Amino acid sequence: MPADTVYAEVRFVHMLRRPILLRGELHYGGAGQLGKRVDAPYQETTTIAGADVRVQREGKNERTFSLERAPELGALLSGFSALLGGDAQALNRDFSVEATRRGESWQLKLTPRSAALVKQLSTMIVDGRGNEPSCFTLREADGDSSTMLLGSLAQAKFGDPLTRESVEKLCVGPTP
Amino acid sequence: MSRGAIANRWLLLGAWIFALAALGFVVQRSLVVTSDLRAFMPPPRNTDQKLLLDQIGEGPASRLLLLEIAAKQESFEHFAELSRGLAQALRGDPHFTRVLNGEVDLTALDPALLPYRYLLSPTLDAQPLDADFLRDELHQRVEDLASPAAGMLKPWLARDPTLEMLKLAQRWTPAKAPQMRDGVWVAPDGGALLLVETAAPAFDPAAQGAAIDALRAKFDALADSKQAHLEISGPGYFSVLVNANTRAEAEWLSAIGTLAFAVLLLLAYRHPGVLLSAALPIASGALAGIAATVFVFGPIHGITLAFGFTLLGVAQEYPLRLLSHRRAGVSAQESLAGVWSLLRLAIASACIAYLAFFASGVTGLQQLAVFTIAGLIVAGFVTRALLPAVLPERFTDVADSAWLEKLRITLDAAPRLRVLPWLLLVLACAAIGFAPTPLWQNDLAALTPVPPQLLQREGELRAALGAPDVRYLLLLDAADADGVLALSEKISPRVEKWIADKLVDDVELPSRWLPSLGTQTARQAKLPDRVTLQAALDHASQDSEFQPDLFVPFLDDVEAARKLPPLTPKTFGASLLGARLNAMLAERDGRGLGLATLSGVHDADALAKAVAQLGDNVRLLDLKGASESLVADYRARIGIALLVALALLAVAVALAFRDLRRAWHVIAPMSLATLLALAMLRLGGVSLSLFHLVALTLAAGLGLHYALFFERRVDDPAEARRTLHATLVCVVSAVFVFGLLATSSVPVLRAIGLTVALGVAFHFCLSTIMARNSQHDR
Repeated sequence: MPADTVYAEVRFVHMLRRPILLRGELHYGGAGQLGKRVDAPYQETTTIAGADVRVQREGKNERTFSLERAPELGALLSGFSALLGGDAQALNRDFSVEATRRGESWQLKLTPRSAALVKQLSTMIVDGRGNEPSCFTLREADGDSSTMLLGSLAQAKFGDPLTRESVEKLCVGPTP
Repeated sequence: MSRGAIANRWLLLGAWIFALAALGFVVQRSLVVTSDLRAFMPPPRNTDQKLLLDQIGEGPASRLLLLEIAAKQESFEHFAELSRGLAQALRGDPHFTRVLNGEVDLTALDPALLPYRYLLSPTLDAQPLDADFLRDELHQRVEDLASPAAGMLKPWLARDPTLEMLKLAQRWTPAKAPQMRDGVWVAPDGGALLLVETAAPAFDPAAQGAAIDALRAKFDALADSKQAHLEISGPGYFSVLVNANTRAEAEWLSAIGTLAFAVLLLLAYRHPGVLLSAALPIASGALAGIAATVFVFGPIHGITLAFGFTLLGVAQEYPLRLLSHRRAGVSAQESLAGVWSLLRLAIASACIAYLAFFASGVTGLQQLAVFTIAGLIVAGFVTRALLPAVLPERFTDVADSAWLEKLRITLDAAPRLRVLPWLLLVLACAAIGFAPTPLWQNDLAALTPVPPQLLQREGELRAALGAPDVRYLLLLDAADADGVLALSEKISPRVEKWIADKLVDDVELPSRWLPSLGTQTARQAKLPDRVTLQAALDHASQDSEFQPDLFVPFLDDVEAARKLPPLTPKTFGASLLGARLNAMLAERDGRGLGLATLSGVHDADALAKAVAQLGDNVRLLDLKGASESLVADYRARIGIALLVALALLAVAVALAFRDLRRAWHVIAPMSLATLLALAMLRLGGVSLSLFHLVALTLAAGLGLHYALFFERRVDDPAEARRTLHATLVCVVSAVFVFGLLATSSVPVLRAIGLTVALGVAFHFCLSTIMARNSQHDR
């Protein structure tokens, strides 16, 4: 089930004083196929082809590396495959899943089962409403994290300063 | 025979066998068999030949093994895991000096050498470490942190914000690398590709065998390895494979040969005891030969053993002569005494002839001479001194056979064709002179050929991996190692142009690994001091978002790099990556010599011209050309050794007979038969090699026996029948055993088998014609 959706991604990296805010479009082309385009603040296209990740940045040579070495992207891909492709079994195989529901909204807390992966990616949280995911939040083992807001949430106004709490609040949605 | 005599016989037999077993045990314990082919090559005479002998086995290109991990079932997808697992296991194994599978290994440089990255990487040649450069780099790093590559770069970022390590790692991977998938190299057909360099030289099959066993064991120990197949290719693997195939076939054929020989002996002498009698002298000779060689040389070469056993085949005649000449009412000792003077002459002249091998100056041939001479003397001695005492009491006098008498009369009555030998001589010379194929086989590898489909596969893998060519090397000559590195840097732009012009896919110059001291010092001079760099960094990171103080490890490394003594080939050579550089830098006559490997040579002529333009210090070495000149040189030595051997033989026979005419009747058929065998080979389109020459030597040794015994004057027809019987048994067994070898699919076995079988047949025929003439002339 192919799907295109705009996103806004906020990355909190301990090496940086301020978070990075990226905007662009995600393309899910069915099981195993995910493309991520960055439109702002610079242009970059990432495609997953089989087990390889290709990153093409404007004016630079293409960089290719193994999906194994980009665990966040791998987690995102399995999340998409599970939710959009309906492959919940695959998700259960790779992660232990903890689900909570509140009215229309739901949240999945995913912890990698692989000991090697958990050293890099401690948890992935997926928020959604109805049958659509709206946020993917990845927490890395070194404390860094990133949140990808999809669809209508991508257009949301972010507070200034941009903090982890404010972004995660956007994902969970207004408390009833 | 009395009861006591019988007891003595058994006692002596037991003692003999025990002594052999004891000697065998001692020899076996101190026996070290080497397999480096270079022991059988002549000492090098010029620089190219010296280099060849080093490169033929130890050059980096010939030590490479090319690996592909292929799936057994289509659904298998874990190539990358297997490739990484194997690479990791091999990196800790002393059999291997380099393992490449496409992984970018940022830890390749010794941690202690990390600050040297600023002296090793060419970045500073074009670009100072100033605010503008750093600003651009830091921008890119922020983008990297937001990209999927973040996980890989994060651990390095604070220490190496300009990613010099990544640049070096890319510089050190082959330029024309295979396709990548899942982080490792893959072949067009989907399997994972690896390139490993063995510590052992390629043409040492034993050491290569150990490395390949280790490789297979490491692979089999990996999880999932059952579902995949490890394909190995490369010169080292081929030498192991060809060795094993040749040995297997030789063993199989000699097993049949031995069995047939045993049957022949039973038919000829009608007593099972003769088998042991025939085996004891040759076993004693072989053991004595090995013991003498071990005593004189220490380690013994595998080829010495193989050739030594072949040449010792002459000794098989000794017990047969004794068995055939036994007659009723006379003890074995006495019957042997009648022919002993001839046997002794045959042994002595063969030994003198083999001395020529000792004078060849080639270690392997010297070993062969010691082995054979010791073996023949001991085999002859035990035949004379011990064998008669242990022979079974019952025997059949072979002179009683009616068919033998008929044959003798027929042979005697045969017309004496005195012109025939001269006619044959002319024909043989003509055949040798006018045969269309090249006289000599210069390519030693052609004798133990690798199956063509394996060679083709190696070519495919080599091309897919961008692995260096084994035939060509670029030689850089300079005063010392640093001079070589400087020269390598100087020619580097021209070499880049060759690659761009598609003369060659890649040239791995030593300066790719280590810049010259001058270049390092120049780069060092461009490194800013800490205060300046700090200021530039502050300036550059004004509009990036990096945390203050994040780059302290970077500042530390640059500061360290400013003060380090430049990296010498010696220091670099001792590091993890050093083996590569060490293989490319050699010392010759107090000067430095650089060896650059070439991959994918497309146009050798154009490349040679391009190299010639670079001046006298850079040369393209064609290893094939050098190896052919070496073989030609070698052949000349062996040829001379054989001529000397023949001359020595003639002198020995003439001295023993004190009669030139009789000596002529022995030497002439032997020489003509050798020439005829040679002519037959040439007519059959065979180009000659070392193996043919050794085989001709053996045949000549056997031929000497036939001629000597045919020339022997006997008045008793029964004794003449015995002589004929012995010769027939010897001829039939030799023709059969070596004829069997001639059917082999391995060219080297075929060469030996065919040559000896042909030679023995000619020697026998000519001896009956030419040596017998003398009796009737009188």
